[in-house]
Amino acid sequence: MAREIYAYRCRLCDTMHYPFRMVCSGCKQNDFFEFDTVPLPKTGKLLTFTKVYNLPAQYEVATLGLGIVELENGMRMLGQLEIEDPEIGMEVAGTVEIVRKEPYDNYYGMVFHAA
Amino acid sequence: MHDVYVAGIGITTFTRLEYPLSEIASYASMMALKDAGITEVDQVYVANMGGARVNHQTALASAVVDSLSLTPAGAAAIENGPASGGSAIKAGFQAVASGMDDVVLVAGVERMREVNNLEATDFVATLTHPIAEYIYGVTLPAHAAMFTRLYMEKYGVTERHLAMVGVKNQNAALNNVWAHLQQEITLEGILDSPEAMTNNPYVAEPLRFFDACPVSDGGAALILVSKEKAKELGRPMIKISGVGQATDTHAVHERSEPTDLLAVRKAAGDAFAMAGLTPDDVDVAELHDAFTILEIAESEEVGFFPKGEGHLALEKGETALGGKIPINVGGGLKGRGHPVGATGVAQAWEIVTQLRGDGGDRQVEGAKVGFTCNFGGFGNNVVCLTFERED
Amino acid sequence: MSVDLEKILRPVESPMVPYEPKYMLLASGEAAVVRQVDRDEIPDLLKYVEPLLHVERDYYDVVASRVYAELLGHYQYRFQDQYVLAVQIDGELAAIVNGRQVNPKLGLSLHTLAFRRGLRVGAHAFAAKMEYHIDALGHDEVLVVAESPIGFRRWMIEYKLEKRFDIPHELGGVPSWALTRELFDRARSSLVVGRRPVPPELLDKAMEAILPPSDPPTPALDPLAATRSMYDPTATALVSQRWEMEGRPDDA
Repeated sequence: MAREIYAYRCRLCDTMHYPFRMVCSGCKQNDFFEFDTVPLPKTGKLLTFTKVYNLPAQYEVATLGLGIVELENGMRMLGQLEIEDPEIGMEVAGTVEIVRKEPYDNYYGMVFHAA
Repeated sequence: MHDVYVAGIGITTFTRLEYPLSEIASYASMMALKDAGITEVDQVYVANMGGARVNHQTALASAVVDSLSLTPAGAAAIENGPASGGSAIKAGFQAVASGMDDVVLVAGVERMREVNNLEATDFVATLTHPIAEYIYGVTLPAHAAMFTRLYMEKYGVTERHLAMVGVKNQNAALNNVWAHLQQEITLEGILDSPEAMTNNPYVAEPLRFFDACPVSDGGAALILVSKEKAKELGRPMIKISGVGQATDTHAVHERSEPTDLLAVRKAAGDAFAMAGLTPDDVDVAELHDAFTILEIAESEEVGFFPKGEGHLALEKGETALGGKIPINVGGGLKGRGHPVGATGVAQAWEIVTQLRGDGGDRQVEGAKVGFTCNFGGFGNNVVCLTFERED
Repeated sequence: MSVDLEKILRPVESPMVPYEPKYMLLASGEAAVVRQVDRDEIPDLLKYVEPLLHVERDYYDVVASRVYAELLGHYQYRFQDQYVLAVQIDGELAAIVNGRQVNPKLGLSLHTLAFRRGLRVGAHAFAAKMEYHIDALGHDEVLVVAESPIGFRRWMIEYKLEKRFDIPHELGGVPSWALTRELFDRARSSLVVGRRPVPPELLDKAMEAILPPSDPPTPALDPLAATRSMYDPTATALVSQRWEMEGRPDDA
């Protein structure tokens, strides 16, 4: 079963949030956790990107590709990129994989590949 | 609201300091107390970002207030990421402006070099959104790099413009004995020569080594007082005439327009409005150039140049000493160094020095109105201040 | 009798092609010359390395003490097949790199010690050393270890070195990494710079003498400052230490 990254839709006014907000930025009237979880689409367009060389100690790789993607539904997210030659505007598709390893925890996030 | 004046300033050398965190803050504070000619205050605010995580010290202000023998004055530490300094000044301003306090010590300090570079990078990255950003391994240089790429695409900023900011600021630091970097660099050395790729490698494409500020330790302090107290102390009358602070979305990808820094725009606008000034009135400015692109972008957002034209003004020399609006003549964060918690206060230190006419080789002639922009998070928490000399 | 003994004690030196000097432009616009150091210049180098033995940060003390031993051993003919390169800026020593030949196909990197900071001199020096092993000496591989985390990131990670963990490196027996010719060729364009030949005036200045570094790393004011601070934020221990060393202010 493929993992998902979830956006949060306010039950009162349908405003979508990623990441989570306690108070809906649209209506500000929601009750505690009055959100529905909605899986984020996994395809979109690359808005901007970088290749990072100076990484924190937990990353034992030479470089890390990162980018901000505009997803099919208009929302944006940050993800790791496994793309040889990224270009602004290119189509990308993501899968949810381990993006960070700490001694006792693995963290999952979106990794984008060229679509 | 009462008027607020800066009656004393103090600073340590920004470099690698082998002293405890609170001692660095106390040193700068003592310098400021002596400058003002006082030994008692009503309140102490100490700005710092990493004490708990990097230096194993919390409740920093409690240590500093005692070290300076200022007890039983009230004291609190203020953490607001890289805008801690600006926030501490705002808190001190509010204390005096409200009439609640007459004399306030505001200090900023950071000692990041207690840990190695990899740890320091990770520590700064903790200001990003924990779930949508931090776990991906994003660092501040990565955010700045992605922002830079968009700026290059949209406004035609090039690596040369970034390098020009780096050279301008790092070389400006040679006129500032307190600055971290005392090493001249040239465009040829970092950009044009065949050796440039090794001299100036990518840190996060397209940002390179000399586009980023160094990791520094250091402290700076101000004494804020009421008008009556300022007159009594007989120091030059430097007023904090405007204070503005604004916030924006935490996750960078949620900004409404990826190339805008709306929090900078609003904070600057509010500061100018409070002071009854416009950007054209400013004689000398300290902008937050943790990355060279930020000086260019901030110079537009605060209103010195139209959006998208900051790099053109840079080309014409308008932001250098002697230009239309000298920016970061003391080295900025690039040359002076960036002890995160101290920066906001160090910017104020530089402006007050300029307005007092004590700038020496880097003095902006006849400076009367100064401006600082302290950029927290990645543009989601910004404090802007205006300073004016009253003759 | 002593001549025969010396023959036994002295290692047999393999023929090694001398290093061809090169120069490069640094970020400051200054020119740095990289050239091989003769045995008779070692005493000068020892003089400059010695103060770094007391710099207790960034592993300067560990690296300097090992470099000192290697240079002294080389000078006294008790170290086999070692080479020493110096980076000089206007004659002044900016960095020392050394290494040795294990066999005609295998090199071993010893150390990189930078005296001038802020200009990536260490990075240039390390790359020059690898170029010497692979291009000039014809080694297929160079074994490398790092004492400092910065070295680790710069070399193991940036160059993407291969693990050779079954080989304990002679610097303390830690697992080795290897730079192969293939890896080096891939990294060559971005990491190895420098121009040859060196213009005569630059080379003459460099060969004339190795001048002392003008701004080398120095020990911290209070040797225990960094360690004390974790347990003593109000610095009373520091002050009493300072009084011990310098005398109390009112004693003068």
